[in-house]
Parts: sequence; C-alpha cells; structure tokens
Amino acid sequence: MSDLAVRLAAYIKKRLPDAKDVRVEGLERIFGGASRETYRFVLHLREGDTETQRRLILRRDPPGSLIETERAIEFETYRAFYGSVVPVPEPLWLEEDDRWLDHPFFVMEEIVGFESNPQLIAQPPFSEHAAAFAERTWTILGEIARADVKALGIDAVMETVSPAACAERELAFWEAKIDRDEACPQPVIRAAIRWLRRNPPPPAQKVGVVHGDFRTGNFLFDAEGRIGAILDWEMAHLGDPLEDLAWGLNPVWRFGGDERAGGLAPNEDAIRIWEAASGLIATPEALRWWEVFSCVKGQAIWISGGHEFSKGANQDPILAVAAWLMGNSQDRAALHLLGKLS
Amino acid sequence: MTLDVSRFLEVASVHLLTRSLPAVGDAYEQSALGALAVLLSVVREDFDRAAERRVAENAALREIFAQAVDIVEDPALRGQLEAAAGKGEPSLRVSDLERVNSELRALLIMLHAEVETLDGGAARDCEVRIWRELAASTERRRIAIGPF
Repeated sequence: MSDLAVRLAAYIKKRLPDAKDVRVEGLERIFGGASRETYRFVLHLREGDTETQRRLILRRDPPGSLIETERAIEFETYRAFYGSVVPVPEPLWLEEDDRWLDHPFFVMEEIVGFESNPQLIAQPPFSEHAAAFAERTWTILGEIARADVKALGIDAVMETVSPAACAERELAFWEAKIDRDEACPQPVIRAAIRWLRRNPPPPAQKVGVVHGDFRTGNFLFDAEGRIGAILDWEMAHLGDPLEDLAWGLNPVWRFGGDERAGGLAPNEDAIRIWEAASGLIATPEALRWWEVFSCVKGQAIWISGGHEFSKGANQDPILAVAAWLMGNSQDRAALHLLGKLS
Repeated sequence: MTLDVSRFLEVASVHLLTRSLPAVGDAYEQSALGALAVLLSVVREDFDRAAERRVAENAALREIFAQAVDIVEDPALRGQLEAAAGKGEPSLRVSDLERVNSELRALLIMLHAEVETLDGGAARDCEVRIWRELAASTERRRIAIGPF
C-alpha cells in the first residue's frame, strides 16, 4: 500500500473499531476534480467471519483549487439528498482534522458502471440517449429546486438568504473573487457585472438548494440512458433555483458541438422539463439575468484557478487548461448573451 | 537551421499524446499529460499571433480613447484618455505589449462605465465602438478548440 493508502486505512480503522484487517487497495487518483483531489479505492475489511470489500471515493482538499469550497457543506448536502429522488452516492465519513491525510477530506460510495466524461456524452452509444438524459437530468434539477430546505435539514449548514437578496449576494461573492484574483483586466465581464446591477432580477420564487455546478460533466450516465448520480456539490448553497438552471444552459457547457444545452437538448426543452419538475416558472427576464450571471461566475472560477496555478499553490495542468481555454469562451458567451457578439 | 517554434510545439504535443502518454501506467498522469498536450497546442496557436494581437488591440483602444476625449466630462479621466491615446508601444516584446495592454484595458473599463452614465448620441456611439472592440478583442483571442 502507498503511504496515502496506509494512512487512509488507519483512519478507516479508527472509524470502524470493530473491523479487522482493514486494507485500502487500488488507490488511484481520478483526473479532473479541480476543486478536490479525488481518488477511487477498494476498502477490504473483516467483520467477524465475514470478509467484505467496497469501492469508495476519497475527496481530499488540495493545497489550492479552482475555487475554495466548504467540504462540510458538500458532505452534508450528499447526506441530505442520499436516499431521496435526487440520486447521490452514500456519504460515509467527513474528517476536518489535517493530521490524518494532511488536508480535510471525506469518503463516499463509488457509483460503478457509469461515465462522467462530458466529451463522451455526445458520442455513440451515449448520444443515442440524449433526449432521455435531458429529461432525467433537468427533472432531477427540478427536484432539487422543489426540495424543502427545512425538511432536508440543510439550512443548518448553509447560510440562509432572503428571496430578494439571492441575486446580489451571489454577484457580490463572485465579483470579489475576480477583484482578488484577476491577473489582467476583464472588460467584458466588468461590463456584464454593471449590466447585472442595472437590471436586477425579480426576487426568487423560493429559496432552495442550489447545486452550484449542475451541468454535463457533473453527473454519471451510462449506455442505457440512465443517470447514476449527481456529483460535485462543492459549491452548493441556498439561493434562487434559477441559478442552477441558467448555469447548465451556459454555452460553454454545450459539448455536443451544436446549440443543445449540455450537448443534450434545446434550451426550451430543458426549461420546460425543469419547470414541470420544480413547479417554478423560468421567466425570460429572470432567466436571462442568471444566464449572464453564470458567465461572471464562470469567469471568476477560471480566473481563480489560473491564479492558484500561477502562484504555485496547485500546478495541476487542468487549472491552466481551464483558465486559458475556458476564459475566452466565457467572454464569448457573455457577449453572446448580452447580444454583443456579431 | 531556424527554430520554428510552432513546429516544435506541434511535435512536442504529438509526442506527449502518442509516445509519452501510452508509456505511463498511472491513469491520472496519463490525463495530466493529455492536458499538457492540449496546453501546448493552445500555446502554439497563441504564440504566432501574440505580438500582432496586442499591437492591433492597443491601437484600437487608443483610437477609442482619442474619440472619447471630447465626450467624457470627468477631467481626470479625460486626462488619462488623452495621455494613453498619445503614447506608442515601448517595444515589440510581448511582455511589454501585454503590460501596456493591461493598462489600456483597465482604462477601457473606466471609460465604458463612464460612458454608460452619459446621455446623448456621441456617448451612445462611443458605447457601440467599445462593444465592437470588446467583441473584436475576444475574437482575436479565440482558441480554436475552445468550447464556445
């Protein structure tokens, strides 16, 4: 076992004091988790006379990431939705003490037999199920929007916000990230921010759970057209559910090489499915505000990741690729949504 | 032999993808090599146009500033616009051009915000020119494999 595997096994042994012969095998890092280091492994242990093994995921905080996020909120959100109509892996242990694995982490179930690579979804055999994926994913997103925050108990870990304050709170948060991390002036995104302030959206119809990064690439899918789980809840918060709908419609997530949202379906279909599942209405004016906002948020994420890479806090090449490749596309998307791209 | 940087980067990118990547056993490192190969291809695309893009953009911004001097009411901003419009490039080194570009784009943000508050046809024309340049600058920076 590697040093990390040995230390992880020691931690799990502490969490499962009755287990014997605890071993972590096949520990390997999964590429692409830009805000957490993500590893898969197989946990072997013996309980009484029974030997068991289970495939699990380790999500560990990196030294620097695309954006700093709160792992406790991510973990508690998995816990809140586990077993509900919103499919998520079973969360097992959250550890915020650095002494075990140098950084805070949590462990959860690995959902096997599914893909997450967004480039695959537009290719056969997955592309044959685009309509089914669209129906399912935007229905799930609608279910997240419909969920009762108090019944989930999630309001205990997430900062509450009034319906009228959702938009400005998010805008101020991401604008501050740009202020802090930008390496060069951003005239397109600064113009978008001023447009957003001049054209505030109506108050949220409800304050709900916002996944924060709900898009193609952050859910598991298979060749039968099934959705296995919704992942990457690290930016989850309470807010206007339209924020999630707009984020997934952002042109930078199209992947299919055409105008279908998320490489799956036209925007109108996505909105119709989401409205039916959520019981909410996506008025064009309010949705447009959140779509333009999604470009500000996206650019803030690329800028922040580029900043981490440049200062040497995290030199995972995905941060540089994202900053360089996505930054220009994000500006183009903002210009497109503001009607300024000829 | 004259070093063809573009060709060198292309060869390096292809080598990483076709030789190095298959030779590495670890899946994470394979993906990281793939990302580095993508990065090299992006650098290759940007390298050849680096000076031209910045020179063109800096000239376009100075032209906007020169036209905006008579529109802007704030004397401090007007002075900055006049000063920026009258300057040339310190050199053709990309680092120098980029430093000036950043200064000019910061000033463009200030001008854009100011013009948005002004009434009148001249202000609207200036706003149109700014948006046109923002679209043009985004196009100049466009990366072929970008997702949008």
